[in-house]
Amino acid sequence: MSYHSHDTLIEVKNLEVHFPIKTKSLFRTKVVPLRAVDGVTFNIKRGETVGLVGESGSGKTTVGRAILRAIDPTAGTVVFHTPDDQDVDVTGLEGDALRAFRQKMNLVFKAGPVQLSNLSGDMLRQFRPRMSLVFQDPYSSLNPRMTVRDIIAEPLVASGMMKDRDQIDTRVREIAGRCKLNLEHLRRFPHAFSGGQRQRICIARALVSKPDFVVCDESVSALDVSIQAEIVNLLKDLQDEMGVAFLFIAHDLSVVAQISHRVAVLYVGKFMEYAPTRSLFFTPRHPYTHALMSAIPQVEPDHHLDPIKLTGEIPNPLAAPTGCRFHTRCPFAKPRCASDTPDWREIAPEHFVACHFADDFDFSRAAPQ
Amino acid sequence: MDTLLSVENLSVSFKTDEGVITPVQGVSFTVARGKTLGLVGESGSGKSVSTKALMRLLPGSATIAPEAKMHYLDKHDKLIEIEKLKGKGAPIRALRGGEIGMIFQEPMASFSPVYTIGNQMIEAIRLHKKLGKREARAHAIEMLDKVGISNPQARVDQYPHEMSGGMRQRAMIALALSAGPALLIADEPTTALDVTIQAQVLELMSDLQKDLGMGMIFITHDLGVIAQIADEVAVMYLGTIVERGPTRDVIHNPAHPYTVGLLEAIPSLDRLDERLKPVPGDIPSPNERPQGCPFQTRCQHVVDGLCNQTAPLETPLAAGHSVRCWLHDEKGKSAA
Repeated sequence: MSYHSHDTLIEVKNLEVHFPIKTKSLFRTKVVPLRAVDGVTFNIKRGETVGLVGESGSGKTTVGRAILRAIDPTAGTVVFHTPDDQDVDVTGLEGDALRAFRQKMNLVFKAGPVQLSNLSGDMLRQFRPRMSLVFQDPYSSLNPRMTVRDIIAEPLVASGMMKDRDQIDTRVREIAGRCKLNLEHLRRFPHAFSGGQRQRICIARALVSKPDFVVCDESVSALDVSIQAEIVNLLKDLQDEMGVAFLFIAHDLSVVAQISHRVAVLYVGKFMEYAPTRSLFFTPRHPYTHALMSAIPQVEPDHHLDPIKLTGEIPNPLAAPTGCRFHTRCPFAKPRCASDTPDWREIAPEHFVACHFADDFDFSRAAPQ
Repeated sequence: MDTLLSVENLSVSFKTDEGVITPVQGVSFTVARGKTLGLVGESGSGKSVSTKALMRLLPGSATIAPEAKMHYLDKHDKLIEIEKLKGKGAPIRALRGGEIGMIFQEPMASFSPVYTIGNQMIEAIRLHKKLGKREARAHAIEMLDKVGISNPQARVDQYPHEMSGGMRQRAMIALALSAGPALLIADEPTTALDVTIQAQVLELMSDLQKDLGMGMIFITHDLGVIAQIADEVAVMYLGTIVERGPTRDVIHNPAHPYTVGLLEAIPSLDRLDERLKPVPGDIPSPNERPQGCPFQTRCQHVVDGLCNQTAPLETPLAAGHSVRCWLHDEKGKSAA
């Protein structure tokens, strides 16, 4: 992996997120850690889209939130590389200059990489505009009592990034225009908008601070196909214009394939495979990825879906299987899989996999031209 | 064909503060015994409202137009005219669940959280079948086993929150099937599920359908799912069925511009490098229903003076395949 290369935006190393779970028995209460994310390592490049797929409960959302520091990671590091390594001598600033500097929080972080996992309090708040989040449900994620203008402006106000009303208005109108919202509707309230328009408002809000990185958590899952296509196109266009990187979390694999440059497959808190989109979809190396691919419904009545049968349910992360997490449902499991945890290795350039026997499998499918 | 349900001219209107809206207008379809009808359309196209009308589950502000006919042939080959039934009382209660079962999209919201799965199943079974508590429980366990829930003896005493999403959806199917309905209405039953679980649930539903010879109405906005499970498909737009026919015909030779647009908007692994093609424009709100063809505001083949004036009638194309579009009508062809 191209660590420390200048185009890397985010480096995630051995990220772990545990939630304490109380289990009660008759006489005592025990606290057991639920390992929602258990050692995840990957990077995201500037201006790219990384897709994150996995069944519900696999920890997709937790990975996204831990990178944003909406949840505190238990262990591991998340390093955010800032765009220009222009050093600012903070000690040399005084009075008004220092105050102006503090308000332009961006400057604070222009001095090289930021270890996001160590930030706290004010520093973290100042860093917030650099990254953002688009939620799944465009109905519950907009405050019904705020106008669209105020909703989109809120990240600027909350972070103190902009104070001047006219300046804020200009920025809001600019981003709303880019998101193809009718500028005359900015004074309306969210209830007057359809699902697709609401999702565009959410995207405008996420991008108003010109972030480098946005997590889209199931952002198109609740939308109809046509609106979904519109939003996917919009996100791609905005990425081209603004150079923002996306972590695109979704359970719909065909949408993820459409929008992502690289895709990671998560299973019970661990990465199974991470590869460029075409490699992952047409030459998967992990049996789990293969099983997921085989279950995608095709819009072709003559094509009979023959999904690889995964026996049983996704395991409870409180009692995650030993060795390879997937061995309890893997059709190719061997005794070694139950005892040894497979290494996270680069099996082909940029193609990472965690499986002992990945070299023996050929799951490649006819890639259409 | 062994018709189980035939719906003709179904229109449903709601009284709202902004006047009367008609989310379903003149819908006709039939469901044959042992066959699956897929209903596709965007949200707000009237898919759910038309099936709720069948179960007489619409809220008080709704009225079903008097010319509507909903004829259902029950298990004893007795014709039931659903539109004439009262919304309350024994006849409609026997129909709901006993004759027509229903599965909803969100299994967590359709189970009561304070009763066990078994409790809720036994209640439904005893409402429709003359069984004692113990026999009903045995039947519930048998149904849970049938839908592939492992260890049904223990699961029957669990609460809905103790189950995973896929398992809850299976339990929902078991509940809907426990009184042995002849027709099953499934409203987006797999939309909230992961692909692997979705594939399992779809397979389970078509297996059960074969075993029990049920008719099924499958509502979804995912044409991929329709292609897997439906024998026939009806495409709805703004409360009207714009195209219907055998699934293979409709997907291979779509006739209505809206069906074509829907098919093109689907992301496909075969077209990774192409830009997605959304259907242009937004779906109009139900109180701003356009004059003439409901799709004319978004259609790229509008014939001025025809499409925006008069609503097209249903035009037959091939065996069982018909479309409501002027482009396939003699009058429209000559004008275009």
